[in-house]
Amino acid sequence: MTTLAPPVRETRTRPAPARRKRSGRAAPYLFVLPALLLFAAFKLYPIGWSFVMSLHRTVAGVDTFVGADNYARLLDDPLFWTALRNTGVILAVQVPLMLALATGLAVALNSTLLNGRSVFRLGFFLPMVTGLVAYGIAFSVLLNKEYGLVNWLLGGLGLDPVPWLTDGLWAQISLGLALTWHYTGYNAVILLARLQTVPAELYDAAAVDGAGALAAFRHVTLPGLRPALLLTTVLSTIGTLQLFDEPFVLTGGGPDNATLTIGVYLYRNAFSYFDFGYASALAYALTVLIGLLGLLQFRLLGDKS
Amino acid sequence: MADGHTHNSTAHQAHLSRRSALRLGGGIAAAGLGTLGLTACSGDGAGTGGLGGGSGSGAKGDPKKGEITVWSWQGPAAELKSLVPEFNKTNPGIKVTVQDIGNPAIWDKITAGMAAGGQGLADVLHIGVDYLPGYVERFPGGLADLAPLGATAHKDSFAQGLWGTVSPDNKRVNALPWEANSAGFYYRADIFEKAGVDPDALQTWDDTIEAGKKIKAKTGVHLLGIDKPASQPDAANLFQTLLQLQGVFYFDLEGRITLDSPEAVRALTLIRTMNDAGLVSDLAGGWNALMSSLKKGTNAVVPYPTWFGGIIEEQVPAESGKWRVRLPPAVRPGGPTAATVNSTHLAVAGSSRHQAAAWAFIEFALTRPASQVKIYRGKGIAPALMKAYEDNVFHEPSKYFGGQRKGEIFLAALKAKSPAVNYTSDYARALKLVTDAQSKVLLKGAEPAEVLAEAAAELARQTGRKAAK
Repeated sequence: MTTLAPPVRETRTRPAPARRKRSGRAAPYLFVLPALLLFAAFKLYPIGWSFVMSLHRTVAGVDTFVGADNYARLLDDPLFWTALRNTGVILAVQVPLMLALATGLAVALNSTLLNGRSVFRLGFFLPMVTGLVAYGIAFSVLLNKEYGLVNWLLGGLGLDPVPWLTDGLWAQISLGLALTWHYTGYNAVILLARLQTVPAELYDAAAVDGAGALAAFRHVTLPGLRPALLLTTVLSTIGTLQLFDEPFVLTGGGPDNATLTIGVYLYRNAFSYFDFGYASALAYALTVLIGLLGLLQFRLLGDKS
Repeated sequence: MADGHTHNSTAHQAHLSRRSALRLGGGIAAAGLGTLGLTACSGDGAGTGGLGGGSGSGAKGDPKKGEITVWSWQGPAAELKSLVPEFNKTNPGIKVTVQDIGNPAIWDKITAGMAAGGQGLADVLHIGVDYLPGYVERFPGGLADLAPLGATAHKDSFAQGLWGTVSPDNKRVNALPWEANSAGFYYRADIFEKAGVDPDALQTWDDTIEAGKKIKAKTGVHLLGIDKPASQPDAANLFQTLLQLQGVFYFDLEGRITLDSPEAVRALTLIRTMNDAGLVSDLAGGWNALMSSLKKGTNAVVPYPTWFGGIIEEQVPAESGKWRVRLPPAVRPGGPTAATVNSTHLAVAGSSRHQAAAWAFIEFALTRPASQVKIYRGKGIAPALMKAYEDNVFHEPSKYFGGQRKGEIFLAALKAKSPAVNYTSDYARALKLVTDAQSKVLLKGAEPAEVLAEAAAELARQTGRKAAK
């Protein structure tokens, strides 16, 4: 017993530092608590609750637990696969094109040969500032087949009207054009920021080694841009998978679901069909996809070290 | 979170207000995507409906006092607003605020409110026949029962068939009918004359197609316009009218799927024949394109219901005297030419704390002939209230429509026997599949029978409903 009893002196001195230690430990938590509470209320809770909803189906106003039925229904839903295919096409075609364009733009905007660089930088970034719905509506008015400005101009050149929004393939092209207009400048600015950290000595060294402009781009610029390229690729992938506003405003997902995205389909199920359970299941499928694709991209493009 | 196609969070917030001005639901869904859930707008689930739904927690309140809000859209909203001063003469204690939410934005806004267990809903809601059964079925208690408030007394006041729409079980009253729209056939008399076609001689839609060919050859004007890529859900208006003229719909009265019936195939085939003959202009873009075509005179005919007459007068006032109206031709020789193609209603939110006051306003607006006459004079909105038709305004010649008694033409349709239509709670799904099927036919030359069979099968898969065969 006595051996277990702590020395008196020690018990006297201990509490003070211990208390200081404890309050020292609590302080950071107290500081993050407001953010944590907000996160829990507005992110964590909806995330958790929508998972619960995804396991239910509403029949005549009564929510019935149906287990994984909504997820099974998903795999069997031709429109889900159509939406996924459309998203895949944008991912495979529009995103690489846009990022290539953004890289070229970043290099051009970084060039010392360019006069009035800040004006150009601002000009290319400005589309990003316009509201999604506003620019969607502007594009849909411009691209209207019978009454739009674009076809009127094409008509002036003696060309036939293009079914920008009324033909499946053209609608996909129009959507790609709108996205490219809106987001290229934004990506270019991210790339530009990274580009400015590439030391000029590397270009000098490359020049000494006899590298031309193209070789310098390949062996200095691109490796230097790698982390920014990874970032823009991952962000664009997430953005594409969540794509909603543009197709919703521009085409409503049509014609005949040619521009249907998972976001639009989710919205339709929740707000037109009142099928919140199925819509939640769609949201979860989307999250899993985004997670998997993000992981894959980090593996492929990320720094090995 | 910033990314390529969405936006960083500050930009997101800046966008929200603009976006919500246009489409509240769109904003919510986008935000929901960001946070991965729809619950952000589905309340605490405390209502008796369970997860998403919620039973109304409102109260009757004082029938003489209170502040009530009314949600409607465009023309109807303006007319309701103009009724308020008169209403306040007899009900000085009730303060009425009418809000023009816009159509189709109002449906998303009501849906979001219903899903949140009634949170944020107005007291009085203007609801179309296409949405009413869905709201009633998916959100029990979302709309107040008007029977205890005295609605049943007005049972026989409305155009036939409409009581069944607002009170399917003949006990609970979900809403009170306002507009009753019959299928119409607005046409440019000057263009018909130029082409040497007698519009009154058109007995069937086959006759109409032949007339359309003549009109196109002589004047270059299209017979009519359709939103071919279905950029708006109302792209199927003509198809639906052709179905109703044959006494069928997407569902039968038992709720079984009938959208691939022989009548439906015939309707879609008629539309394809018109399109193949080059008689159909493209109204891609929906409402705006329709208004542009009206101003440009692209089409000789607009086969729209009663309410569209008011729109024509408002949009192209200079064309006074050139327009006429008649009931649409029959699909089969000697077949019916009258069909009630839609109705709208006023309902009270189940969550409202001033239900009695809300009901007082509804009763004033919808069951008092003078109110309905005023609304008809203002915007040409045709009442379901039969007593209103005793007023002279429905029987006097219209100067704009070349001296025709437009009110009487549609009154005759309203009095004709019109089969009941079962919209069901799955109307939105059916309509989407129908518009897609129509797009396939008009844009890709698909076979009507085939696409309708596919649509019916897909509808059965999505809803678990049986086919009516």
